[in-house]
Amino acid sequence: MTHRFLRILGAVGAACAVGIPSSLAAQDLITRDRVGLPDAPNTMTFRLTAYDLYSSDDATRTAFEELFAEFIEARPDWKIETQIATDNIGQEQARLLEQARAGRGPDCAMIDSSQLALFKSADVLTPMNAHWSEAEIDDLFPFVREAVTNEDGDLLAWWWFTDLRVLYRDTRLVPDAPQTWEELQAASLATVDAGKEGVLFNGGRWEGTTFDWLAHFWAQGGQLVDDEGRPVFAEGENREKFLTAINFYKDLVDSGAAPPRVTSIVNYDDFNAAAAAGTTGLFIGGNWQYGQLRGTLPVEDFAAWEVSAIPGPSVDARATGTGGWTIAAMSDDEDAVRICAEMIREIYSGQSNAIQGLLPTSAAQYERFDAFDGPEYDVFAQALVDGQARPGVPIYPEISNNIQILIGDVLSGAATPEEALDAANAAVQAAYERL
Amino acid sequence: MTMSDTPVAAQKAPRRPKRARPAAWPWLAPALLMLGAFYLVPILDVLRLAFGDATLLRSVESYGLEGIQQTLSSPALPGVLWVTVVFTAASVIGILATGMLVALTVVRGEMRGLWGMSALRTVVLTAWVVPGIANGLIWQMLFSEAPFGALNSTLAVFGIAPVRWLSDPSNAMVSAAIANVWQGTAFAMIVFYAARKGLSQDLYAAAAIDGAGPFARFLFITLPQMRAAILVATVLVTIQTLNTFDVILALTGGGPGRATEVLSLFTFNTVFYNFDLSGGSALALILVLIALLLTVVYIRLLGDRPDQDK
Repeated sequence: MTHRFLRILGAVGAACAVGIPSSLAAQDLITRDRVGLPDAPNTMTFRLTAYDLYSSDDATRTAFEELFAEFIEARPDWKIETQIATDNIGQEQARLLEQARAGRGPDCAMIDSSQLALFKSADVLTPMNAHWSEAEIDDLFPFVREAVTNEDGDLLAWWWFTDLRVLYRDTRLVPDAPQTWEELQAASLATVDAGKEGVLFNGGRWEGTTFDWLAHFWAQGGQLVDDEGRPVFAEGENREKFLTAINFYKDLVDSGAAPPRVTSIVNYDDFNAAAAAGTTGLFIGGNWQYGQLRGTLPVEDFAAWEVSAIPGPSVDARATGTGGWTIAAMSDDEDAVRICAEMIREIYSGQSNAIQGLLPTSAAQYERFDAFDGPEYDVFAQALVDGQARPGVPIYPEISNNIQILIGDVLSGAATPEEALDAANAAVQAAYERL
Repeated sequence: MTMSDTPVAAQKAPRRPKRARPAAWPWLAPALLMLGAFYLVPILDVLRLAFGDATLLRSVESYGLEGIQQTLSSPALPGVLWVTVVFTAASVIGILATGMLVALTVVRGEMRGLWGMSALRTVVLTAWVVPGIANGLIWQMLFSEAPFGALNSTLAVFGIAPVRWLSDPSNAMVSAAIANVWQGTAFAMIVFYAARKGLSQDLYAAAAIDGAGPFARFLFITLPQMRAAILVATVLVTIQTLNTFDVILALTGGGPGRATEVLSLFTFNTVFYNFDLSGGSALALILVLIALLLTVVYIRLLGDRPDQDK
C-alpha cells in the first residue's frame, strides 16, 4: 500500500514537474493584450473578435492559445499586441475604418465580410499577394474571391470562414423539413398546437434581423441596390418582392405561427435557450448553432434536431445569407504584413475552421479536415449553393438599419408594410445623397 | 498745532508698500489648457463638422447650412424627439421620486436606529456602478418574453398573463425607463440624503408642536429646504438621461421600430450606420442646446427666489 502510494505520488510529482513549466510558459506568452514575450523587439498589432483566442468557451480558448503559442515560439523576435473588438459590429468596424483612414489602425485586423467593401473603397488595405499562391486564391468560392480581390487582382484580405442561415427543427414535432413558406407556416402552427411558441427568428433592432429576412427577399430575386450601388429595393419589381417578403413575416405573427416577441429578439443565443428549454420546435438560425446545440442539449434531444434550407416562396426559389469574417493587413511595414499573412495561414485558415466548426471558404479545406465530414455539412454545402452575400456598398448599413426599423414597425402593428417601406426608402435615399 | 495734538484717529496710518498682486493666469493656465484640450477643442470640432459635409468615409469638402437643414428636416426626427421627451420625463421623474423616497427612508431609519440602513444605501449604490450596457443586458434577461423569462415567469405564479415588455412599442418605452430609473436612483438618493441630513431638526420639532403631520412637514419643510439639492439633481439627472443610450442600445436597440430610439441613440446610429459624421454632429449640437435650455428652465423654476427665501 505504502509503495503504491509512493509510486502514485512520484507519478504526480513528475507530471507536475513537466506540466508546470509549460503552463507557466503559456501564461507568459499569452495575456489579455499580448501574444509573445513583452520585450520582443518587433510588434504586430492585431484587432480580433472575442470568439477565438479570447473565447469564453474554455475548449476553444485553449485550442487557440496552443496555436498562438506555437506560432509565436517559432518567431521569438515578434510579439502580437492584441486588441479585442467589441461585438457591436457596426460601431466597431466604423471606428476601425476611421482609425485606418487616419493612419492609426492596427497592422492586422478582422473585418466583417459585409464591411469589407468599405475598407476596399477607402484604400486602407495592404495587398498580401506575395504570401498566397494563385492556385490558393483560385480555390476560393467565387463570391469570396470576388470580395477579397480588387480589379488589379490584388488580394486585399483573406475571408477565413463563411456562415449561412438555415432552418432548425425538432423532428419530434416537425418530422419533414418545410420546403415553402406555406409549409413553414403550417408546421409552425402545428408546433403551437403542441404547446410551443411557433417559429422563432430575429425581429429586433440588430443586423441579424435584416440578414435573416433578406433570404426571403433574395429568394424572389429581389435586389437591394443596382450595379452602381444605388438603393433600388423600393422600386418596380423589387418593391413588390419586398412587400411580399414582409407580408410573409407579418402573416407568421398575425396567424400565431410566430410569437410577437420576435420583435425583441436581438441574439441568436435566444434560439439556443428556447431549444434547451423545449419551448420551440422551429427557428431560423446560423449554421454555427448546430455545434452549440450539440454542446447544450442532452444527447437524445440533440439527436432530434435537424437542419434544412430556409423555405422559400416555392420549392425552387431559395436563398440564404452568407456572412463570415475576413482578416486584412493595414500596415506599410512589409514585415508586419508578412507576420499577419503567416498568422492567417497557420492559425486561422483551415485550423481555426476545424476547431470551431466554421465553414471554410475554399473547397480544398473541406477535404483537408475530418471535422467537416458530418451530415450537417452536406446540408450546409447544398444551402451554400443558394448563398448570397450582402451588397458591399457603403449604404448597406443604413439600408439594414431601416429594414430593422421597418420589420419592428410592421410586426408590432405600428405601421402597414407600405407605409413602413416608404419611410425606409425615404430615409435611405436621403442618407445615400449625403454619402 | 503740533503733531502731538493731532487726534490719533485723524493721523494717517503709514502706508504699507503696495504688494504686487500676483497674476492669476499662471495658476489658471493648467486648468484652462486641460479644459480647452479635452472639452473646448472637441466641442469646436463638433461645431465645425456640423456645418460641413464630412462622413466617416471622407473629410469635410465644403461648409454650409445644407447639412443642418437636411438633419432638421429628417422625417424621423420629430418621432425621435418625442421619444426623447417621454423617456427623459419618465426617467427624471422616476429617478427623483425614487431617489427622494430612498433617501428619506434611510434618514428616517437612521434616526430611529433601524438595522440595515447602511445595507440599503449600499444596495442602491450598487446599481449605480453597473455599466450601462450591463444594466441593459440585465434588464433584457428580466424582461425576456420567452416562456422562461424571469418577470413573466414570476407573474405566471400569481396567475397574471405574460406582459409584452419589449415587443410592444408602448411597453418597451416603459421598460427602458424602468431600467434607467433603476440605475439612476442612486445618484439622486446620494444628493437628497446629504441635503436632508443637513436640515435642522428644530424645524421639524417646531412643526410637530404646531400640529403639522408628516405630509405637511414634507411639503412645507423638506421640499422647500431642499430646493437647491433638487435643482442640482434635476439638472444633472436630465443631462445624464439625455445622453443615455447604452442602456437602450443593449435593452432594445431602439426598437421595436423606433419606439425607444432616443436622440442620443439616433445620433449614434446616424454616425455609425449612416456614416454621416456631419449629420451626427448637428444632432449632437441639438442635444447640447436642449440640455442648456432645460437647465435654464430648471434654474428659473427651482432657483433661489429672494422674495420668498429671505
